[in-house]
Amino acid sequence: MNCLSISRILEKLEHDPRFRDNITFRHTIPGTQGKYEPIPGFLPQDLQELLRRRGISRLYSHQAQALQAVHAGQDIVVVTPTASGKTLCYNLPVMQALLENEEARALYLFPTKALAQDQVAELMEWSDELGGRIKTYTYDGDTPGDARKAIRSAGSIVVTNPDMLHSGILPHHTKWMRLFENLKFVVIDELHTYRGVFGSHVANVLRRLHRICEFYGSRPQFICTSATIANPQEHGSALIGRPVTVIDDNGAPRGPKEIVFYNPPVVNQPLGIRRSALLEAEKIAHELIAAEIPTIIFTRSRLNTEVLVTYLRQSFHRLGDMVEKIRGYRGGYLPNQRRQIERDLREGKVLGVVSTNALELGIDIGTLQAVVLTGYPGTIASTWQQIGRAGRSTQESLAIMVANSSPINQFMVQNPDYFMEKGAEYARINPNNLYILVSHIKCAAFELPFRYGEMFGDIDPIDILEYLTEEMVLREVEGRWYWMSENYPAVDISLRSASADNFAIIDTTDGKTIVIGEVDRFSAPMLIHEGAIYIHESKTYHIDELDWEGQKAYARQVKTDYFTDANLAVELKVLDVTAQDPKPNVNRSWGEVMVTAKTHMYKKIKFHTHENIGWGDISLPEQEMHTTAYWFSIPNARAQALGMERDALQSALMGAAHVLGNIASLELMCEPGDLGVTAQIRSPFTGEPTIYIYDKYPGGVGFSEQLFAAHERLVSRAYTLVSRCTCPSGCPSCVGPADEIGAGGKQHVLRLLKEVMGDGSQEHSAQISTQRNA
Amino acid sequence: MDLKSTLRRFLPKETPRQTHAQPRVPNLDPFLHGREMDTPFGPCYLVERHFAFGDTWGDYRISTVGSELPSAGLSILGAGVISTLSTSRTVFLDTETTGLAGGTGTYAFLVGTGRFTESGFLVQQFLMRDYNEELALLYAVDQELQSADAIVSFNGKTFDIPLLKTRFAISRMDFEGVNRHCQVDLLHLARRLWRDKLPSCSLESLESHILGLTRYNDIPGYEIPQRFFLFLQTGDGRLLKDILEHNVLDLVSMAVLMEVINNLGKLTPSECDCPWVAEALGQIYANDGKLLTALQFLEQAWNLAQQKEQQIRILRTAALLHKRRKDYETAALFWQRLLVIAEDDLMAHEELAKHYEHRHKDFEEASRITRRALAIALRTRPAKVPDLEHRLHRINRRQETVS
Repeated sequence: MNCLSISRILEKLEHDPRFRDNITFRHTIPGTQGKYEPIPGFLPQDLQELLRRRGISRLYSHQAQALQAVHAGQDIVVVTPTASGKTLCYNLPVMQALLENEEARALYLFPTKALAQDQVAELMEWSDELGGRIKTYTYDGDTPGDARKAIRSAGSIVVTNPDMLHSGILPHHTKWMRLFENLKFVVIDELHTYRGVFGSHVANVLRRLHRICEFYGSRPQFICTSATIANPQEHGSALIGRPVTVIDDNGAPRGPKEIVFYNPPVVNQPLGIRRSALLEAEKIAHELIAAEIPTIIFTRSRLNTEVLVTYLRQSFHRLGDMVEKIRGYRGGYLPNQRRQIERDLREGKVLGVVSTNALELGIDIGTLQAVVLTGYPGTIASTWQQIGRAGRSTQESLAIMVANSSPINQFMVQNPDYFMEKGAEYARINPNNLYILVSHIKCAAFELPFRYGEMFGDIDPIDILEYLTEEMVLREVEGRWYWMSENYPAVDISLRSASADNFAIIDTTDGKTIVIGEVDRFSAPMLIHEGAIYIHESKTYHIDELDWEGQKAYARQVKTDYFTDANLAVELKVLDVTAQDPKPNVNRSWGEVMVTAKTHMYKKIKFHTHENIGWGDISLPEQEMHTTAYWFSIPNARAQALGMERDALQSALMGAAHVLGNIASLELMCEPGDLGVTAQIRSPFTGEPTIYIYDKYPGGVGFSEQLFAAHERLVSRAYTLVSRCTCPSGCPSCVGPADEIGAGGKQHVLRLLKEVMGDGSQEHSAQISTQRNA
Repeated sequence: MDLKSTLRRFLPKETPRQTHAQPRVPNLDPFLHGREMDTPFGPCYLVERHFAFGDTWGDYRISTVGSELPSAGLSILGAGVISTLSTSRTVFLDTETTGLAGGTGTYAFLVGTGRFTESGFLVQQFLMRDYNEELALLYAVDQELQSADAIVSFNGKTFDIPLLKTRFAISRMDFEGVNRHCQVDLLHLARRLWRDKLPSCSLESLESHILGLTRYNDIPGYEIPQRFFLFLQTGDGRLLKDILEHNVLDLVSMAVLMEVINNLGKLTPSECDCPWVAEALGQIYANDGKLLTALQFLEQAWNLAQQKEQQIRILRTAALLHKRRKDYETAALFWQRLLVIAEDDLMAHEELAKHYEHRHKDFEEASRITRRALAIALRTRPAKVPDLEHRLHRINRRQETVS
């Protein structure tokens, strides 16, 4: 395996007629030289020697800058790409502090357990070389009970994740007194992952951490690292609640990287349907793996991961025995299984790994040379992260992004300049989301009574404290608020999803009962309803029974030639209008809504051909969510003036909702899955045709207000996208597939959007009628 | 819309709302018959109850002997229990808390302590009437514990003691707390004695099965936190009466139970009249390496045992002990005794097969027993079959070699 094979494989693809015509963009990012600075003299001799023994005689410039800033007592965020030696930026100051003071402590937070494990392995090596003076432990859900006591008192570096800090450490802070009294550094790796709902939770967990540190008289310094985001300064300080110094001038050398955008061919011109990105990615991955190039293939969902592993194994099986060299990797695998796969990757036993974004972060999986993205990952930052998984160090690497039919994907592959020039997204959090804030104030009051006048981050919590007192969760005595409940609030609050409880999937094949995976409550109706085919490690399981109350699904291994896909039906009811802006042609608003989601049926889809071969009913309880939404309605008179039949109007609304939802996620730079979209031809609330875009998180994360403000830009961008799309009458890349939206749907959408845009609508309808006449 | 009404609209109700006016420090004297107690950290509330020697408690009486608690029996039963606990420096402890979840938000609102006095058993209950009295309560408890070397509890090692440690730690005061005391957890000792006899070793179960004591109108433990919260909201002292009573019952039962357990611990094999206790003591002495005493207890247990399951267990333990003493002939006798009452016991067959093959070189007998074992395994333990087939094969081979 060498550099040649990358160039050769690229040449092969570019000359192969089966691939050549689908390549829409090819770009070489040249390698760069490193920038270096000497090791600062203030580092202790032991540490300097250790570095030299490891062959480090100088530092990258950003590492040296980070050390200087930390030395000067600043809280910092280091923003440099994957494999630029970020760990030294925090390990060196921490080691220094621990060598100078045996009692000093540091807390490392990683977003996932896998990353934490990885880090501990590295720190152990360091510690051994320093004579075992520094004790590093991971503390997470997998830590055995008898080890916990030793970690609490003796761990110089405690490596954990925010979830464990939230539910296991802070509520038991007295057991961690030694840590909190002597805490010098808090290290937060992969800061950019703490955005949206998760980030808003974590910001509050850190507010609680500050409170506890203050109680024990410590004031730790924060060292954070992040992938490229547009606003590291703002995001870093919003998250840790303090101003931060940003260090983002990367001094590490980089190997040349080839970037290829690949747009699958249109297989059905009238319907505008492209060949499946999954199947195209399989072809490309096959070429790479067959050439023995270590490759990672990212997919957008757990289901796709499993489907792709199955396909790749089958296609290699026909060619001989490479099956063991292809593995899947995703959330829902048990920890041991994951560790095994990570090891096999590092040791080269696995040549191709298909993963969800679980491997996007800096888990050490050795040197991969190629990365295939099945679909645009949803954000530019994420795309660069995934691309960065190939070619650590200075060697040449290859990244191929295979687009799917969604509007954003098509926008990206057809406008590569946007991708190359736009830069990364903003990371946004809203720590003051009421649901999240109130949850953490409860946790904080459990940990220590609130004092009168005490702030929580930048919030004066008195109203919330009084509310919780009236609800009799807290009790106020002499200017202090005490926890007055027998519950342990942290267990009811999951940092990562709206509900804490997961469903276990139990394999009952041949009378066994083995837990093979888990699924969160909101995904359960979609993935493990009775009759569903659940795929795990490319084995197919039939879900025989779903015990909703007991949160268990009983599965049996079966051989099938199909998988299942469930439909989610959404109803939305407006509860309160926060703001509105009525105009003659459109009335936009935002406010509180209740969203009810229910899965009614599922489709059986044949492997490989993806044809629909049947369906089944699902009867599970509906799930309710109280959140915020932005919506707009068209006055009935105007809607009538459009001259559309009821069906036509319906399809215009559906199509417009489809494209607006996608444009909105681009506008907000959030994951498309963070938003929900629905349309009502006669909304019970407005009495008019209405399109809603809602936050898919209880209480809302602040998207609705932003969308309300960006209304005009949203609508005109949506109009541009649809009018520029080359399909004749609607396709998945603009208003949705023509067979779903109906003939002429695309034109209806354009007229509707034009009406909503307001200006020049006369002119436009003239134009439309001209087209009709022609 | 102000924040509070927004909150109310957004968030589900936490608990049913109640409105009430309340005096800040309710007068508890008419219901609890205690008194306010002053400390450097302000007041808390103290209730004292005295039980005289000779008072009956189920089938037993409250009693103790002399200046040293009779703990020799306890120390046989429990590792780490010193054999001479001083009466005056031993405290019984039981807390009532605002929850079972643990963590820094769980408070011990009532700490009951008990001590033997010259005339009986004195229970002191320290109560915080509201959260602001916690420091005073901790101070009072700390004073009480400072004059003790040992703490006797029921499940305290897992629950009460860690919880108090948390409370002392969170107070950030210079309290001595509960760090240096010798811990006697009666639950652990009771489990060693009655694990196989009783369906549960909860204090209530022990009271009923061992002490012969029935509780009437006792408040269930899980209701206690809500009852205390209701007291905080209403200031109605009658609500606390049941909780204090519950706490007193726990403490006195602990004191009586300790003596019962201690006396059992001191028994000689022939004095023992309960098969379960005899078996448990046999096991305890065996673990301690005192094999002869252990065997005597097992013999006594065998004499008393009625239940077949227990009889089988006793013979098996005894056989293994003889084997451990390298008295293989006696061990074999015990395996044969076992086969008389349990003809399908696989372990007995295996052990006897080994015995005849390796010690007596009686391959015919070894083969016969192994074939029987195989037949049993085929019916009941298929996983054992390959092993046994292997053994049979070897025995037959050796048999041929000899003949």
